[in-house]
Amino acid sequence: MTKPSILIIEDDPVSAETIAGVAQSLGCNTQVDVTYGAGLSAAMGGRFDVIIVDRMLPGGDGIDAIAKLRGAGSNALVLVVSALGRAANKIEGLERGADDYLAKPFDGDELRARIQALLRRVRMQTSDNDLLVFGDLEVRLKARTVHFGQTHIKVTPKEFDLLTFFAQNAGEAVTRMQLLSEVWNLHFDPGTNVVDVHISRLRRKLEAETGITYIHTARGEGYIFSPTAPEAA
Amino acid sequence: MSQRSVKSASLRLTVLIAGVMVLVSLGGLWFQYAQVARAFDARQIEALQADLDGYSALYDQRRIPALRQAMAFRAETQTGYDRVFLLLDKQHTFLGGNISTWPDGVETTAKSFTADPVQWFDYTLPNGRRSAYMGVARDLPGGFPILVATSLAQREALMADMRVTIGWAVVAMIALSMAAGWLVSRLVITRIDRVNRLADRVATGELGARIPGARSDDEFGRLEAHVHDMLDRIESLQNATARLSDNIAHELRTPLNRIRQELDQVQGQEEVVAALKGELSDTVRVFEALLDIASAEAATGDKPGLVPVNLSELCVQIFEFYEPMGEDQARAMTANIAPDLWVLGDRSLISQLLANLLDNALKFTAPGDLVTLTLSHSDNRHCLTVSDTGPGVSDDIRNRLFNQFERGTPAHGATGHGLGLALVRAISARHGAKLRILPQNKGFAVESLWPKVDPM
Repeated sequence: MTKPSILIIEDDPVSAETIAGVAQSLGCNTQVDVTYGAGLSAAMGGRFDVIIVDRMLPGGDGIDAIAKLRGAGSNALVLVVSALGRAANKIEGLERGADDYLAKPFDGDELRARIQALLRRVRMQTSDNDLLVFGDLEVRLKARTVHFGQTHIKVTPKEFDLLTFFAQNAGEAVTRMQLLSEVWNLHFDPGTNVVDVHISRLRRKLEAETGITYIHTARGEGYIFSPTAPEAA
Repeated sequence: MSQRSVKSASLRLTVLIAGVMVLVSLGGLWFQYAQVARAFDARQIEALQADLDGYSALYDQRRIPALRQAMAFRAETQTGYDRVFLLLDKQHTFLGGNISTWPDGVETTAKSFTADPVQWFDYTLPNGRRSAYMGVARDLPGGFPILVATSLAQREALMADMRVTIGWAVVAMIALSMAAGWLVSRLVITRIDRVNRLADRVATGELGARIPGARSDDEFGRLEAHVHDMLDRIESLQNATARLSDNIAHELRTPLNRIRQELDQVQGQEEVVAALKGELSDTVRVFEALLDIASAEAATGDKPGLVPVNLSELCVQIFEFYEPMGEDQARAMTANIAPDLWVLGDRSLISQLLANLLDNALKFTAPGDLVTLTLSHSDNRHCLTVSDTGPGVSDDIRNRLFNQFERGTPAHGATGHGLGLALVRAISARHGAKLRILPQNKGFAVESLWPKVDPM
């Protein structure tokens, strides 16, 4: 399998270096461009799996490039990493075609989680799997049900969404902000542990039904879904 | 200005213009009518005088017999009663004329055969008809009363005809004046209305609205051009403000990001690094909230940025988001949410408003307290209330609570940055929702009244 390739369009050298470092640690090839024009022509010309783009670039707004890329037939997933980090900015970015949006200043772990999720999506684009299986635990996406062996685990619709997002990113850290935007469609930081409360409920429910801890607290700010990976806990 | 008062201004102007035109024309007609009446009277007096001159000449020649003879001859030859004449003797016995009795109320006042003074009187003719007359009556030397009068019937018929004509002319003139007035007021009001409609659109937040078409080279055109210049200026200032907040965000967050990335490189001082990261997050959060407040305030009334949002669904969603936290913190949480109530809004901002209110309620209450979210439907607004049975706030803080950096005392040591309710206020204003703190015997309650839209 070839290494995933990531294009980074970022004019701030420290951010570019950090992003490239995280991407390389995830086993990706990286290319960095520092202006809107250079980045756009690189994106049009090369085959990249993920494009990480800043907004207030010399020469233009990274979000404007997304429509041009899509018009040119690119399927690359786009992560916007920008200093324009208010909820309204994020929604604007997502509405205009970004696949994910991360505000500066960002945490290295948060960035890693976002890139991982995108890489996972790149891999999943080729498979159309209705069923996510982790040993005896089965998540049926179309039926929206959860089973453990012969037992049907009753979950609320929100718990199902949460579990699905975890399961789709199994083995990788997901952050609270990711969960907020992906599961609850909320793009602001509530500033309290309200997400943790939901996760610990789901964790307890799964533990009670299966006897297994699926959701582990990751170092930094996030969680890892894994039936067998207590080393991160 | 409302449409109604525009209409009434147009009506007032129409009536004013029509009224002035009608009054001026009526004045002219009245003057003409009076002139005609005067001219007619003068001609009749002239005719009367001619008669009198004839009688005077006869009297001078042969006194009473000549008059009697002339009257007898005239009475025989004259048909009708256009002229009446009568001569009596001292005992008021008929001597001559075409009528036999002296009219009631007519005094012999004239001194000679001149048509001055004339008298007006009604008289019942031998044919039974009663008619109006103008004439002269005098006593001739020796006590012979003589009366010579001319009928006013012709004059009255003519003046009546003229009055009818004038009546029709007035009706036509009122109609024409109303039409002319309406036309003029339309021209004026339509031009003013263009500016008013623009002002209405701008007031609802459509700052980019302009009057289409070319400007005319008159006062109205200049008014429109001035209003456009003003709006251009306001718009460019607003854009500059938006750019400024983007620039502030960029210029502040980029170095903060560098600091953040550098912190990750620091080894062996985990506690210090964690504390600094926490400080950084707090700084960003405060600054983000300030920008959110500024941007919501700047967009206040900006309807084009809003879309129909199911407020009921959003309330349920955010309530369910906070409910587990409430249970964990031993607060009783209840929701009474009327289904399918829609508002024109920004989903993300409304979510944030609801989250801030519920988060506040949980933060400022103690275990065992009740937190209630109510969404109900009133006549023309949706009523959203978040209330709790916590300690509430003192009166001196109550009035300042929606100000920036105003903090209450959290029940369990949690601190906020004092921007939550300021953001709630800005978001409410952005949506045209009326916000107030309800007077409570116990606890704290915020009510926000939302302009409703029809369900989608």
